[in-house]
Amino acid sequence: MNWKRLSRAIEISAFLLPFAAFWVLFRLVPVLYGFFISLYKWDLLGDARFIGLRNYVNLGRDPRFWNALGVTLEFAAIAIPLIVGIGLLLALFIFGGRRRRWAAAAEAGFFFPYLLTVSVVGLIWRWMLDPDFGIVLLVLRGWGLPAPVFLNEPRWAIPAIAFATAWWLSGYRMVLFRAALEDIPEEFYEAARIDGASGARMFFSITLPLLKPAVLFALVLTTISGFIVFGQVLIMTAGGPGRVSEVLALYLYRFGFEYLEMGQAAAVGVVLFLIILGLTLVTFRWLGYGSSL
Amino acid sequence: MGLLVLVWIAPIAWMLTTGIKPTPEIFALPPRWIPRHPTLDHVVVVLTRWPFARWMLNSLVVAGTTTVLSTAVSIPAAYVFSRLSWRGRDAVFLVFLSSMLIPLEVNVIPLYFLMNDLHLLNTYPAVFLPMIGMPIGIFLLRQFFVNIPLELDDAARVDGCGNLRILWHVILPLSRPALAALVIYVFTFAWNEFFWSMIALSSPQMFTVPIGLRALQGAFDIDYGILMAGASLAALPALVVFLFLQRSIIRGITMTAHK
Repeated sequence: MNWKRLSRAIEISAFLLPFAAFWVLFRLVPVLYGFFISLYKWDLLGDARFIGLRNYVNLGRDPRFWNALGVTLEFAAIAIPLIVGIGLLLALFIFGGRRRRWAAAAEAGFFFPYLLTVSVVGLIWRWMLDPDFGIVLLVLRGWGLPAPVFLNEPRWAIPAIAFATAWWLSGYRMVLFRAALEDIPEEFYEAARIDGASGARMFFSITLPLLKPAVLFALVLTTISGFIVFGQVLIMTAGGPGRVSEVLALYLYRFGFEYLEMGQAAAVGVVLFLIILGLTLVTFRWLGYGSSL
Repeated sequence: MGLLVLVWIAPIAWMLTTGIKPTPEIFALPPRWIPRHPTLDHVVVVLTRWPFARWMLNSLVVAGTTTVLSTAVSIPAAYVFSRLSWRGRDAVFLVFLSSMLIPLEVNVIPLYFLMNDLHLLNTYPAVFLPMIGMPIGIFLLRQFFVNIPLELDDAARVDGCGNLRILWHVILPLSRPALAALVIYVFTFAWNEFFWSMIALSSPQMFTVPIGLRALQGAFDIDYGILMAGASLAALPALVVFLFLQRSIIRGITMTAHK
């Protein structure tokens, strides 16, 4: 009997082992290793001196770190609602027209940018927003509107990058939301209609509550990608003008691989992880989902 | 609606036409949407003076390996999380799942140390190894496996099948849509990975497409003809694949959303 249980335990372990091995070695160990690295001062020869939490203290004292944190928060505050909001709006459009011929083609068009790699997205928008020849500026000016030189203007750099990111990513959210809309039973709407509910009422009392799990999933996903934003910033502004668009990931990169302050860069990684963890917990709390995922 | 879609994909059209315009037309005022004298000059520069084809190959190797390995290790794990019951199962699953909160980006410094210790920097494995144990893999598959009736397993067991054969002959044939969804997800993820690849890869011969484009930008800065030609070439495979597989790709993603 015991032999049977043992062989079953071995079998389960064997099924789990391949995944667990990669997971432990390249996901779990690095988190712990990163914390370990952040406790040392590393010099170029690879020698390390234990300095406790000094790297974290240095971060706290570095105005450039606080700037990067602020910039990242600004990016997240603009990009996250933009991505999720546009995704939701497009999904409602597509779902509303689901019996028409254009719906599938429109969905494909809105979705496609998601398949582009970040460098392509960054280069396209850098060109579209070029201060002298950018088509967006030229078109806006052609309409007689005052167009800021987006990427070179401190106030506009981050919003412009956030907008480009929304163009890139919201199509994916749209597909997720559209699928969730399809899961809502038609009878709910019929019953509401019989009770004389208005369209707005149905949206807020049926559609939105039932979309909650999908919205939660999209929010968590988008929050994470908002806080680790890197590629589009590097390509569109390289953190400029000045440092107005230097996000945390870029700060981490520069400290690690330009100034070779590996300990401090590792500390930024730890801080970034804690921020993501905290925000995810808040999102779950806020939307009232403890156990349903 | 049609207008909105056109505006939405206009940036892609603008990229494609800029890439085939001669330089004076690129900077012509007022801007021209359709090139008057289309040319492949910029495309030729990118393809001949830069190892662009090699970058494509590198991206293909990295994304392909990631997809195959990550799917292969996720399948048996998802099986024991969905078809067998054992003590601590849900707790272990939750631990794996919560590691979704550890994106590659927060780990780049320790990964750099780790890959350096393993003498793997500037190789393919340095890029794909960290992407294999992705929790989304077991999450997606488990969600699908859970909905397959358990009676099928029982019937197979009566016939003397072990878990491995049940997985192979019963579960997997029924799970094609979920596998397709996972493959699409992992492949695009790996194809697009930027931050870690940029750190792990140092020689131009080893660059993946996104890193190569970044190098192109470093060399040409505002020579938009060349940059857009490079970007168009990078976007072309996605465009072609999407034109053919558009419905299955979107259906694959929808799969991941349905309960």
